[in-house]
Amino acid sequence: MTVVSAFMIPGSPLPYVQADNPPWGRLADAMKTAGESLAASKPDAIVVYSTSWFAVLDQLWQTKPHLKGVHVDENWHEYGELPFDIHIDTKLAEVAIQESNDAGIKSKGVNYDQFPIDTGTIVASNFLNPGNKLPLMITSNNLYHDWATTETLGQISAKAADRLGKKIAVVVIGRLSGAFYRHTINISEDKVVSEQDDQWNKKILDLLGQGATDVFLQTCPEYAEKAKVEMGFKHMAFLKGALGEQFQGGKVHAYEPIYGSGAAVIEF
Amino acid sequence: MNKGEIIAGFLAPHPPHLVYSENPPQNEPESQGGWEELRWAYERARASLEELKPDVLLVHSPHWITEQGHHFLGVENLSGKSVDPIFPNLFRYGFDLNVDVELAEACCQEAADIGLNSKMMRNPKFRVDYGTITTLHMIRPQWDIPVVGISANNSPYYLQLDEGLEEMDRLGKATRAAIEKSGRRAVLLASNTFCHFHFSEEPEIPEDMSQEHPQNYEGYRWDMRMIGLLRKGHVDEFFEILPQFIEEAFAEVKSGAFTWMFSAMGYPKIPGELHGYGTVIGTGNPVMEWNLIKAGLATDIKNIQAA
Repeated sequence: MTVVSAFMIPGSPLPYVQADNPPWGRLADAMKTAGESLAASKPDAIVVYSTSWFAVLDQLWQTKPHLKGVHVDENWHEYGELPFDIHIDTKLAEVAIQESNDAGIKSKGVNYDQFPIDTGTIVASNFLNPGNKLPLMITSNNLYHDWATTETLGQISAKAADRLGKKIAVVVIGRLSGAFYRHTINISEDKVVSEQDDQWNKKILDLLGQGATDVFLQTCPEYAEKAKVEMGFKHMAFLKGALGEQFQGGKVHAYEPIYGSGAAVIEF
Repeated sequence: MNKGEIIAGFLAPHPPHLVYSENPPQNEPESQGGWEELRWAYERARASLEELKPDVLLVHSPHWITEQGHHFLGVENLSGKSVDPIFPNLFRYGFDLNVDVELAEACCQEAADIGLNSKMMRNPKFRVDYGTITTLHMIRPQWDIPVVGISANNSPYYLQLDEGLEEMDRLGKATRAAIEKSGRRAVLLASNTFCHFHFSEEPEIPEDMSQEHPQNYEGYRWDMRMIGLLRKGHVDEFFEILPQFIEEAFAEVKSGAFTWMFSAMGYPKIPGELHGYGTVIGTGNPVMEWNLIKAGLATDIKNIQAA
């Protein structure tokens, strides 16, 4: 078995930089729990797909061996900084790039000093890989890729790991319902913007919890549209592609609002 | 203190290719040129800015995206290396800019006073986005004029288009009020491309101009129509059909910078001066100027000095 564990988490920095706010703190606790599960699954590497790393021309894969620095979020800069220290499984990334190009999805590696690492990837690394014990393979969200292409990229990631005989954990990063408060709120009273969004999120999470994967997948397009799910829920497409037949539902560790949008920590 | 004034506005798009092709010492990658017509357009804009002698440049960039509110750079000096996440092969630029924090705070406060969510960015480790840097480099490579950097709240994407643009109109009015109270002579920079359809692959040699042309004919026709209106000063008609332009040409002015700038200038019905137009990976990029001094809508600094 190549994929030994898989997770979906939100990419917002708020649970990391403001964990003392109860709803965000519960998400932080859930991500720590997910990190323990991930470690227990004993992968050789973690494959990360983040909706907040935007690509436009090609599918980009991080190939710089060591990324270290401090990131300030574009929107939530007042809450402080996000340190990161990430090692990349460059061999795995190179094979994935080759596989991707072979599949007709033009891909290339990025290996540049100071290349901007997105907030979601840093949050995932810090919560799910404390101490930087495992190498990551990080890939981007090409804004022009649809569900099917993104699912193929998930398949390619698992295939690349399989070719190298590596076990991987897969982490996809993105929100559920995408509507958020545009005004400043009392953060302790944060809640999902609308009842409709909340109901949609709960419905989709219930389907995952029940293992009703066929119904879940059939419902995804409508859910993505009605609840304005971040990036059309493509993070789920990547995860579905990576898991393949292993996709049999998930355990929801937490479901909470982040400034009005829906956020969940799910283990698959 | 004299009343502050907006003395000019520039439509100043930000393809990083223009910095790359110019080979300034701040940028790591080296090119063999390219996009000359656009760079020559910026040369003309630079000469005009030199004549204007502004106290401050205000730039609104679509690549500093803030979901909650309109943010303003609020640290006196920001420096570092900006690597374009889309074109890291072309743009790895060492920046060092000075911010007019006092004016930025005034703009932020004026925006808040009219009900807009606004915020100051105070973190000195903040990395300035490549849109802001490219526009500023192309218009003033000396980096000797203080800056007010404004984020894109992207309200025109999140709200209905007309609601979002109306919010940018209000931000423009708030900006104008702050400038007038500050005594500054300000130039506004709308960091926007027009037609934003682009190619999905980069040529092997990025600066191979034999590969450069509009991505599609309809988008090009839209650009020419809109530039034509602006060159004639038909501002009302421009803004009347702006939503259709945004929809059909995927125009980047949707991010609101252009509306912000024109609102701040008071929608002057004067001919815009086209310094040049060119495509970059297929997108349409006009470099244009509205000189309010030449139009008699702002005071010439010589008259102020004489008085």
